[in-house]
Amino acid sequence: MRRFITIFLLISTFLGSAQGTDYLNLFSDRDSYISGETILLKIFAPAQEQSGIVHIDLLNPNGKIITGINKRIIDHQADGFIYLPDSLKTGTYLLSSSTNSNKFITVRELFVSNRFTGLTGTSSMLRASDINPEVEKLADIIVEGVQNNYKTRERVKIDLRLTSETLTRLEGDLVISLAEKSPEIDAQSFIQSTVSAKEPKIEKDGIIIEGSVTELDTNKPFSNGCVYLSVPDSIPKLQYFIPGEDGCFSFHLSGYFGTIPVVIQAFDPEKKRLLKIFLNHRDSLISAVPKFSNIAISAASADFQSAETNNIELTTLRKIFNIQDITISDTALSRKNDYPFYGRPGEIIHPNNFIELPDFTEISRELLPGVKFRAYNRIPSMQILNPLTQNYFIEQPLVLLNGVPVLDLKVIKNLGTKDIERIELCRNERFYGNLAFHGVVAIYTSKKDLSLLKESDDLVKINLDVLQPQAALNIPKEGKLPNEPDLRKVLLWNPGLKKAKTIHLEFSTSDVKGSFKLIIRGKTKDGSIIRKDQIFEVK
Amino acid sequence: MARTIIYLISILGILSTADLSAQTSGTGNQFGEKIRGTRFMPYPNYTGKPYLYDKFIFGEIELTNGTKINNIGLSYSTYRDELIYYNIDISAQIVIDKLSLKGFSLKEANGKQRIFRRMQSNSFSHEERYYELLCEGKTSLLTYRKVNLEPCDTYYSKSGLAYQPAYIYYLYSSEKGFSALNPSRNSLLSKFNKANQKLVKKLLRKNGVFITDESSFIKAWTLVAEKDIETNF
Repeated sequence: MRRFITIFLLISTFLGSAQGTDYLNLFSDRDSYISGETILLKIFAPAQEQSGIVHIDLLNPNGKIITGINKRIIDHQADGFIYLPDSLKTGTYLLSSSTNSNKFITVRELFVSNRFTGLTGTSSMLRASDINPEVEKLADIIVEGVQNNYKTRERVKIDLRLTSETLTRLEGDLVISLAEKSPEIDAQSFIQSTVSAKEPKIEKDGIIIEGSVTELDTNKPFSNGCVYLSVPDSIPKLQYFIPGEDGCFSFHLSGYFGTIPVVIQAFDPEKKRLLKIFLNHRDSLISAVPKFSNIAISAASADFQSAETNNIELTTLRKIFNIQDITISDTALSRKNDYPFYGRPGEIIHPNNFIELPDFTEISRELLPGVKFRAYNRIPSMQILNPLTQNYFIEQPLVLLNGVPVLDLKVIKNLGTKDIERIELCRNERFYGNLAFHGVVAIYTSKKDLSLLKESDDLVKINLDVLQPQAALNIPKEGKLPNEPDLRKVLLWNPGLKKAKTIHLEFSTSDVKGSFKLIIRGKTKDGSIIRKDQIFEVK
Repeated sequence: MARTIIYLISILGILSTADLSAQTSGTGNQFGEKIRGTRFMPYPNYTGKPYLYDKFIFGEIELTNGTKINNIGLSYSTYRDELIYYNIDISAQIVIDKLSLKGFSLKEANGKQRIFRRMQSNSFSHEERYYELLCEGKTSLLTYRKVNLEPCDTYYSKSGLAYQPAYIYYLYSSEKGFSALNPSRNSLLSKFNKANQKLVKKLLRKNGVFITDESSFIKAWTLVAEKDIETNF
């Protein structure tokens, strides 16, 4: 029996270590920023990370999410950027990186000075205390060709030499950042554990939206309903979910980048009950917040004060000259052979080509043969003639307004020819998963907006941040005119530097004078982070 | 020691079952890609077979975005060149939109898998068709399993109409496109230049392959493809 227990413990320890949680590593290009600047980020995910999406959020010291991004993890790595709002107050903020499946949140401190007020009235700053800081080991990387001092706008060529042992130890790419060094701040990354009440849904290649549906009168979860999620894109998309007894629903949004408009609707197919939608918003991340201690900004840090003043001036100048920190790559997807979820329309009618008609009843009578739109007792109804049986479908067809299903036909009742750009018709019985549509009438308005669909308890319109597109640091071309200012504080940022025995780097210093720090980081196969620093001055 | 091994196997067995059940009890079909199509209307009943198989058989479909959906009941209509799928949840026979598919495969009872790919034909209409992949390679051997409804002798069919197979075979390469051929030795040889024709003849002779039907034709082409003899079409 003792042997059995020993073996069981051994196996469970082995499986625990193999499948157990490991944390993400989070790095930024700098430790202190001015509001309105851009934070450049790099994440290494553990090998056993199940989630394909990492959430990076900017939090205030109370854990409230100010802004955030979602990035796809590819080859256990991700990189992105966060725009710091201009209105951020001077003080300490937290950057957190988390996934739905990981039990740990990796947090990084950063200091932000407001672009308008600077350090005025700031005598102390919050620093995380009682934390479990991430340890970075010294990397066996030789940096060749770096001088102590450079002039402004000087071309610099350096070589990184990696030993064969380092090369074999490294997993994934190197991260290289070369940015102005902050005199006072040396930000730390640390790990916070989090407890999830429910079993998380794993985000593979897109984000998950979750929520629940309740009965409006009783507030009880509603299980017999249907929830639609529509993305009114050029080619509209629809997803549906039939909630269970708990009334909960979830949607997986993949293949979208940036911010997209989303409409979520819930309805009772029996039309007996009014419903209410609750979306699970992530507006705070309390578990990421460490204990803070208030540390006075020492009198000796006059350097810090002056550096911050200079930085504010530089940021203001960059804003005046409209200098963009980064270039966002084009994420336009190939739509070849793609078509709406309701199928390729059999007919497309442009009402503008015909005589002006005041409402949809007239349009259906005059321009849409086989489409019966009538209002009996002021309740509008619609039917489509089935071309195969030559009878009208008993059920109402799917009516869409700019790609969003319309459950109440009163919305389209008053649409005249002037309001409608085109009407797409599918007369056959269409299937989409387990949904059956008895014909489809897709109306696209001239305004192309969703203002006709009013927000209510069972209809939610949101602009959703989905996956962030790839971006690269803007580096001015050689031969830039001398009268054009070069106000870069980040001279080099490459989150995906391929490892090699010798890596050649070339960059130019900018017009910014001061101390610059080159940091090379990499993740080893055992999960530890190795780092090499090199400092030089630009005078 | 034997008891230890038994303990080990039983523990690992329990753990692996737990892992499997964790995988299957996922988030349901709501996350999956939705199949798009129209309701299937049965064809008129004439002599002959308008379908590849008489019954629905299990198969796998691959959507244009790369998503694969397997273990669904499929029936390939060779008459209309459309794929019909049976949706158990709503008890409906649905013709899957051809444009939404990259291809599909059907698994016969004996385990043999037949692979079909949607490709644009080289015909005048450039219509999208399902071609069966008989042999895949640099140059693939495909067939368009077409069945036509044709007039026939009333001794054969009382209605005077019957579904008649009219399969067309093609050699296909991404550079050269399609080239039609018959399942015969002469037709095969016509796809090679003089020098290579000798090589093909020798190869077939050495392997004792006589092209008499589709299977021997596939065998002959497989031999040619293995030797990488250059075609001329």
